[in-house]
Amino acid sequence: MKKNNTFRQGAMALIVAGLIASCTENDAPTVEVPPVEDAFMEIQGGGASFPNSVFVNLSSEIQNSVRRDTWDLAFYTGSEFKVLINGTTGAMAYGTEVEDFQDLEIEYVEKLKAEGTLVLDFNNMNSILYVDDPKNPVANGTALGTVLSSESEAKVFIYERGNSGAEEKPWKKIKVFRSGDLYIVQHADIDSEDYTTVEITKDTDFNFVYFSFESGKVEVEPKKHEWDFVWTAGTSSTPFPQAVNGTLGYFFQDLVYHNIYGGVQAAVVMESEISYDEFSDANVNGLTFNSDDRLIIGSSWRSGGGPNSGPAIREDRYYVVRDKNENVYKLRFLSLTSGGERGRPSLEYSLVK
Amino acid sequence: MFRINPNKISLTYFLLLYLTVDVFAGKIHGKVEDQEGNPVPFAIIQEEGGTGTVADIQGQFVLGDFEYPVQLKVKALGYLPVSIRVSDKAEFIHIILQEDISQLDEVVVTGNFEAQSARQSVYQVRIIDKELIQKRAAGNMQEVLNTELGIRFSQDNALGSSNLEMLGMAGQNVKVLIDGVPMVGRQGVSNEININQIDINQIEKIEIIEGPMSVMYGADALAGVINIITKKPGGTKGYGLSARIQEETVGNEYSPVSGAGNHIRNLQGQYRTGGGWSFGGAFTQNRFGGWKGRFTGRQFEWLPRHQDLANASLGFHKGILELDYALDLLDERIFSFGPENRIEHIDTEFHTTRWMHRLNARVDASDRFKAAVQTSFTDYSRETVTWITNQRTSEKSLSNAPNAQASLQYQGFTLRATGLWSISETFNLQPGLDINTESGVGDRISSNEGIQDYAVFLSGELSLSDKVKIRPGLRRTYNSAYEAPPVIPSLNMKWKLSESLDLRVAYAQGFRAPSIRELYFDFFDASHSIRGNPDLQAETSHSFNGSLNFSRKKKSEVIYSAVLTGFYNQVSNQISYGIDPVDPRITTLFNLEEFRTAGGMLNHQVRYRDFSAGLGLSRIGRYNRLSADDFNLPEMLFTTEINANLDYKVPYIDTYLSFFYKYTGRLPGFEMGANEQGEAIPRQIELEGFHWADLSLRRDIGNHLQVQLGVRNLFDLTSIQSTANTGSAHGGGPQRPMGYGRSYFAGITYQLSK
Repeated sequence: MKKNNTFRQGAMALIVAGLIASCTENDAPTVEVPPVEDAFMEIQGGGASFPNSVFVNLSSEIQNSVRRDTWDLAFYTGSEFKVLINGTTGAMAYGTEVEDFQDLEIEYVEKLKAEGTLVLDFNNMNSILYVDDPKNPVANGTALGTVLSSESEAKVFIYERGNSGAEEKPWKKIKVFRSGDLYIVQHADIDSEDYTTVEITKDTDFNFVYFSFESGKVEVEPKKHEWDFVWTAGTSSTPFPQAVNGTLGYFFQDLVYHNIYGGVQAAVVMESEISYDEFSDANVNGLTFNSDDRLIIGSSWRSGGGPNSGPAIREDRYYVVRDKNENVYKLRFLSLTSGGERGRPSLEYSLVK
Repeated sequence: MFRINPNKISLTYFLLLYLTVDVFAGKIHGKVEDQEGNPVPFAIIQEEGGTGTVADIQGQFVLGDFEYPVQLKVKALGYLPVSIRVSDKAEFIHIILQEDISQLDEVVVTGNFEAQSARQSVYQVRIIDKELIQKRAAGNMQEVLNTELGIRFSQDNALGSSNLEMLGMAGQNVKVLIDGVPMVGRQGVSNEININQIDINQIEKIEIIEGPMSVMYGADALAGVINIITKKPGGTKGYGLSARIQEETVGNEYSPVSGAGNHIRNLQGQYRTGGGWSFGGAFTQNRFGGWKGRFTGRQFEWLPRHQDLANASLGFHKGILELDYALDLLDERIFSFGPENRIEHIDTEFHTTRWMHRLNARVDASDRFKAAVQTSFTDYSRETVTWITNQRTSEKSLSNAPNAQASLQYQGFTLRATGLWSISETFNLQPGLDINTESGVGDRISSNEGIQDYAVFLSGELSLSDKVKIRPGLRRTYNSAYEAPPVIPSLNMKWKLSESLDLRVAYAQGFRAPSIRELYFDFFDASHSIRGNPDLQAETSHSFNGSLNFSRKKKSEVIYSAVLTGFYNQVSNQISYGIDPVDPRITTLFNLEEFRTAGGMLNHQVRYRDFSAGLGLSRIGRYNRLSADDFNLPEMLFTTEINANLDYKVPYIDTYLSFFYKYTGRLPGFEMGANEQGEAIPRQIELEGFHWADLSLRRDIGNHLQVQLGVRNLFDLTSIQSTANTGSAHGGGPQRPMGYGRSYFAGITYQLSK
């Protein structure tokens, strides 16, 4: 913490100095804040029940905590039309064959419930079919599939809103399609025929526009160039021979996604290749940065624990993150806990170039 | 890490062996006979503190080279030892030996009102006596039982405890008793007792009865009963003192006295006055330093464990009255060190304390009627304490994280009144009353009013002839928490086919009560959604057992005995975990399954001069649940076990060598998997077989001191492989821990009595 404070003071001094300098020169007072050089950060994940997703901006040393259960759907703002379900609560969506809400029979829903099709756990061998691709949902596929431009052809989806580390909510039925540049979403309680229609406009300052059935449009992630990675619980996948496609979807409470849709790149470096302390500017060019798989950091920074050992930080590796402004940071995780409590991991990082 | 070099140690040991010096002169002829004048072959005749000889098959011997007067000690298997003083030169002496009833006929108490000859008992009882425990230099029960047929252990290294399985049935079906009183463990009364929380040094013997004993002992005695009989002060005025120190490596990890390795210390004493009073006390420390195994840092694969066990007893025996009180105290700390971390270290300690009070009263009112009352009160608590050590400030504090601090308390009370009413020479009745109450509170146990269990039972033994005995029994139970089975019957029969052949057959119903945990345990967090089911019923079983005992009592050069046993158990309403049909995300418990076990065992024991050897074979079958849905699958899955032991008194160096071996065959099974299309299909799995062997050497130095050296786990076993995907949360994964590698031990026992 001490290091951190000194550093903050230093940064403040620089800013003040900059202000004074610019004032005396009497130019336009635009302040270019220099990127943070070294920092220690304890992520405010909210504690043992890990209720928050925490978006981290390394260069400004700012973290934004948002409760995971405040949203249901995320609408991609890029050129394509893609809609994500809330993987951070382990939500699942099941595509039915019907086009109208009134045609969805309650027996069908009850059967689905009883069979446990929309349960995200190790017993459900088919779970991967009903979740977004954990690595890159926009590129590799979402549970809701292609967003059609015709209301009549779009199918009804049964939406399980996710109860992994989140309070269970009643199921919904939804229908998503597009109209010109707009997304249209219709949603209803699972046992109701009254539905609500909402239009969603793409806002290209953000990667996604977030939507909650109760609150409408909600703010979740910061603007797309203002964060580098998010620590969150969420749906991940693991190779598992018995599962469908050899892949099992499961819920993991310590994922770190780098901001692939905002142009942030990340690389993994093993201590055995070059140590964290020795890593410098000169080593950056040799790295292969990834910008299309948000699980590159993912869960690899900690071991899962086993029958006889708890999860632990993997001290054999660290990460290099290049943000949108070409700042390159080396970053390593230090602890999974604070005061023994999970959901408050800590990390340190420093500017390489 | 210090590593014991066994070569160096055995060298010093053998030097100690030769610290005896002989004096030479004289010569004597003699003959050893029994009370009927028959020769006793192969008796050992030994000059006190000097050399000896062995009598021939006619009982004749020649002993030479000593000085008169001489004190001779004469010993023979099956006879009481005698000491004879020969003061003058005698050409020929007759030595008469008395048969040792207790040695020939082992005594058992389990299931009976009072101690009875094992040969006479209608129950087939396996006895593990203190000599055997001593030979194994055991530090805990597991080290004694791990080469027994039909018993296997599984290690829960997350909690530092071990679970036992008997004849293919889980440990919660095995009732563990101390002197007939049920024990309390982490799961409540008698369910899954961690058998290593018992002081091994206090054990006189262990009696194991296979098959249900529910009529006598109530719930949970479904697979069988393990009755631990503790040491009692001797019958006559005097005292006994003993002290034991044993140092042991844990695999190749060892440091003297404390830290790495296994350190056992025990002190105990008894005293009986001439006036009928007796006093006893014991204290044992077990310091297990843990085993790092695959870990290199702070973590341990086998968690370090500190145990302090104390016992105090007071007795008063006068006339027709016997009163005995005992207090047993356990204090156990298991340390689970968290991984290395740059910010903070998280360490958890499991602290168990158990106070067990026992009061036994017995009145022998007349020759016809005897009554006994046993009461016990057990206070069990288990605390989980989690400490955080900040690596920057070195401050240590308790963790505030949820579930980091937890506690669990059980209180159990038992009252057991039994009577023995001898109606005639050939018929007696044993009525009984059994009250068991238990209550549990803990962070994860939903509120409950405890469990009260009241039962009456009656059994009677009828001798139909001098060859045939039958013993029917009935038990009626009322339970406050679950619906107890109405009336439990049992029928035991013993038929003496010939002087050397006994046949026993038994039918019994057994039941296992749902435990407090199964009824009320709720556990919800990120990775658990488990709910107890207060509507559970008892598991019930029908069980058939048979055994054929052969033993030749004839005094010949070779003494041979064999036991052949067979069993079949059918369990209904077995309690098992399943998915809640209302809410598929929750795991709860149901009375769903049928389960069966069947199998047989054959044990041989042979003694020849200074050799004693045993060889056993068992085949135990467990029901394959998946065969109910898929008739192509085998219904029963069998496992083979082989055990062997060898005792040999090495001539010239007066050292006893004991070797124990067991092979536990692979354990086959089936589990549901999925094929490439995601369809559920059964898949064959198995748990690897393994070998276990222990070796020990023992020598008496003088009359009071005994030195012991040995090797445990000769096959250097650490874990066995499982091909199952699913497994229990704490023992799961492909590697099942079984041991911590080859270990060496050295111990000294000092005994003094008068």
